Amino acid sequence: MSTIVIGLSLGMLLFLLAAGLTLIFGMLGVINFAHGAIYMLGAYVSFEVGKQTGSFLMGVIAAITITGVLGAAVEKLSLRPLYERPHFYQLILTFGLILVLSDVVRYIWGSGYQEVSIPPLWNGTVDMLGSTIPVYRLFVIGLGVVVSTLLYLFLEKSTFGMLVRAASSDAEMVRILGLPVGTIRMAVFSIGCALSGLAGAIAAPLFPVELGMATNTIIDCFIVVILGGLGNIRGAIAASLMVGMVRALGYVYMPSWVDILTFSLLILTLLTRPQGLFFRAARSA
Amino acid sequence: MFTNGKIFKTSLAVAAATMVFASSAQAQAKPESFKIGGVISLSGPYGLLGEDMRRGVQIAIEERQGKVLGVPIEVVWEDDETKPQPAVQKATKLISEGSHMIFGALSSASTLAVMNITKQRKIPHLVTISADDKITVPGGSRYTFRTSNTLDMENRMALSYMQDKKLKKIYAVTADYQATRDGWEWFKKNATSSGAQIAGEDYTPLGNRDFSSVVDKIAKSDADGVFLALTGSDVVTFLKQAGQVNLSKSKVIFGPVVADETMAAGVGPSALGVNSGMRYHYTINNAANRKFVEAYQKKFNVFPPMAAGEAYDGMSWWLDTVEKTGVWDKEKWVDAFANSVRENSVEGKKTMRACDRQALQVGYWGEVVQGTPPAPALTMKITQVFPENKLFTDCKQ
Repeated sequence: MSTIVIGLSLGMLLFLLAAGLTLIFGMLGVINFAHGAIYMLGAYVSFEVGKQTGSFLMGVIAAITITGVLGAAVEKLSLRPLYERPHFYQLILTFGLILVLSDVVRYIWGSGYQEVSIPPLWNGTVDMLGSTIPVYRLFVIGLGVVVSTLLYLFLEKSTFGMLVRAASSDAEMVRILGLPVGTIRMAVFSIGCALSGLAGAIAAPLFPVELGMATNTIIDCFIVVILGGLGNIRGAIAASLMVGMVRALGYVYMPSWVDILTFSLLILTLLTRPQGLFFRAARSA
Repeated sequence: MFTNGKIFKTSLAVAAATMVFASSAQAQAKPESFKIGGVISLSGPYGLLGEDMRRGVQIAIEERQGKVLGVPIEVVWEDDETKPQPAVQKATKLISEGSHMIFGALSSASTLAVMNITKQRKIPHLVTISADDKITVPGGSRYTFRTSNTLDMENRMALSYMQDKKLKKIYAVTADYQATRDGWEWFKKNATSSGAQIAGEDYTPLGNRDFSSVVDKIAKSDADGVFLALTGSDVVTFLKQAGQVNLSKSKVIFGPVVADETMAAGVGPSALGVNSGMRYHYTINNAANRKFVEAYQKKFNVFPPMAAGEAYDGMSWWLDTVEKTGVWDKEKWVDAFANSVRENSVEGKKTMRACDRQALQVGYWGEVVQGTPPAPALTMKITQVFPENKLFTDCKQ
């Protein structure tokens, strides 16, 4: 039972980490290599604001705001001229962003570990079927459910979501209809980055806040995005939970094989369903 | 006409003159700078420690006004990303660019890989942190020296601690890495032969991102001690997540090298009470250390962490030895260092053992405690000093 709870918490945390990447790739077709660096920035901002204000919540809000604004600025100033160019321009840009953000973080906070404590409200444990589970892990599961539901409603049920999807499938047509494609794209990139910042702030009490967290995370995120079907939010949820469970079970029965199991899942998927386990073909008229 | 005897004598004289000329040219061939090639980890699981090492070396160089053998010291740093393959590539590049010595690497796997290159190219190689016992073995590389701890001496301290605390059941978490696996096998053999039982053992990947399942297994076990053979961000992640279920309230957490101020700062209050081998500490009370701590604090405004102290210690010992030889001859530097004694090391007396190129030294064991200013909020307290003869066995060929 505890393994299921741990697997769920790992999966939901992974979903929070991968949601921004999935959103940006699915709606804009941009592979954002800087996703991990923005996640790291979110963790550092949450650490700093939390330390200054004594409020974890303020830290989370600041992380979302700053990474969201940064995302909007990056899209408007540097990504926008590159949409019509080959993909490698975007790869180089986002890779460069990793280097810039890492150096900015190193300059401001140094290269040491920073510590973010679990807020008192969730700083306890509950006994569930013979296991002691940190309340914060349950909070992460709950937050993952809330974020995934909101993201689904936003993309599938809201008018703005419809515009985002329309701009994603035929930007020129949306532009002819007089709608601001540039602003829509900027909003999507900004929301994607804000989700990364949120993930960084939520992950900060669980992991060491350090420069290396950017690279540690990005690999897991790409695994989720590939398994879930590139840009598929529902697929990303399912893939996150699948990877979370594989890892949780792996740690219990064969810890030294955890990475091998995770990558085997990825390789198997690429061999059998390269479009992702949860890929849906686009409907045509 | 020359007779055969005359030809022989003339040839001998020419050969002798050539050798004398060559050796004096070698001694006089003074380069513009003394080049140090530093292969350290600035990214990856040990990325943070690399920066500390760089700072320690910087102090060692500045202390001698940036010069050795009358020329400026030039250091080129390369990041091995905590991986052996980049370490080999970077070391090869540094040697081809004319490095007079190689410093590093950080992880033992990288250091062992770099050793092969320095041995082949006959370049002096200084190791100040990698602890794998295989780095300094009798009949190993003539060119590689370690001035810091071996994993074996740290495991001996950990074993002694386990026995003193009368721990009966041990659960081990080990980074899936040859040096830590070997260390745990040694510990397990000796712990069980002294009456302890093994409650469980898990090998987790280096750079592991989540330990919650492992922590849950340990919490459910009847172990009274948790032996951690982890370091870097792995140990910080483990201790943070163990703290979230209060693991240290029911089990004693200890390991060969699992805590220092840098790691404790990342973990937070959950690090309190963790016991660990210590390679260097700023509180070691001797004149050399006081001088180093003062210089380090003046430059970086913090107390020197473990990796910085070890790097400083090894590099200043090496540079002093090179200076004493007075010649530009790598073989002479190596011979001099192999037989040197550092009376005024920041960790006390160190003696380089010529048979395996390992520095004999005392060992420090300590615990994470609450610090009072100017010490960091969480600091290490030295609780035991192990004499050299308790930590090293004879050097058998």
